[in-house]
Amino acid sequence: MDEFEQRLTRLMRGAQEPAPFEARHRERLRAGVRARRRARAARRAAGSVLAVTAIAVGAFLLPDAPFGREPAEPRPELPASRPSPGETSAPAYQEGPGPEASDPPLSTTEETTTEETTSERSATTDAAD
Amino acid sequence: MERAGAGEFDEFVAARWSALLHLARLLTGGDRHRAEDLVQESLVKLWFVWPKVAEGAPEAYVRKVMVRAAARSSRRRWWGERPTERLPESPVPGDVSATVAERTRLEAALGRLPAKQRAAVVLRYYQDLPEGQVAAALGCPVGTARSHVARGVARLRHLLSDAVEPVG
Repeated sequence: MDEFEQRLTRLMRGAQEPAPFEARHRERLRAGVRARRRARAARRAAGSVLAVTAIAVGAFLLPDAPFGREPAEPRPELPASRPSPGETSAPAYQEGPGPEASDPPLSTTEETTTEETTSERSATTDAAD
Repeated sequence: MERAGAGEFDEFVAARWSALLHLARLLTGGDRHRAEDLVQESLVKLWFVWPKVAEGAPEAYVRKVMVRAAARSSRRRWWGERPTERLPESPVPGDVSATVAERTRLEAALGRLPAKQRAAVVLRYYQDLPEGQVAAALGCPVGTARSHVARGVARLRHLLSDAVEPVG
């Protein structure tokens, strides 16, 4: 500790004034204790209310809770078969007409093919004749 | 305040009030009102843990609360202090108010330090605490506390270079 630090120490300690603990200090201290006690009680009460609310909300929202809401509506069925590798993935649920409405029926294609084959065969027969 | 230990608490406060107020005044850079607020707040906190710390070191607890609250409040609020280029006039030799002027000058210089440096210097030189306890009170590593002390003293050395003379 050098000379300046020793002087600093003396100056800090020498600056102390006697300050008695007066009645007004005591009263203010008691008022502070009461106010802090009230604040703590209020905070504790608010915490309890929040905890009870959180538990109630959690119990209401949990589907498997022994009490709470009624069973929900049945879930929509998932598609039975997975899409073929060549197809692009489509959203699981679409609004509007389903894929059956837009795609042509397979039987129509088969009939068309059969008609074409028959007409080709008759043309070949005519040409041979 | 009606519970076991209230009498001991009152005795402690009455015995240590003056020293705690002076510590608070140094920690706040000489603001008497803020110092009293700081002591009151710290003693209120002490009251609620009194049964736990009464047998240990209640003054160390209050000191820690005061130091941290002082650092926190100086970060949170503006207390109307404005930095100045020059400190108040240094005391004239032989002046009857030399002691008061020196104290004012010391407090003004302390008020120009950052809160943690001020607290570190006060704990080290007024309370004569070792660096480990200074660090514990500030809630920082020992090396950081040592750095706060060194920087604070260097700044005070600069601010008070031509003013610090032995009192009395």
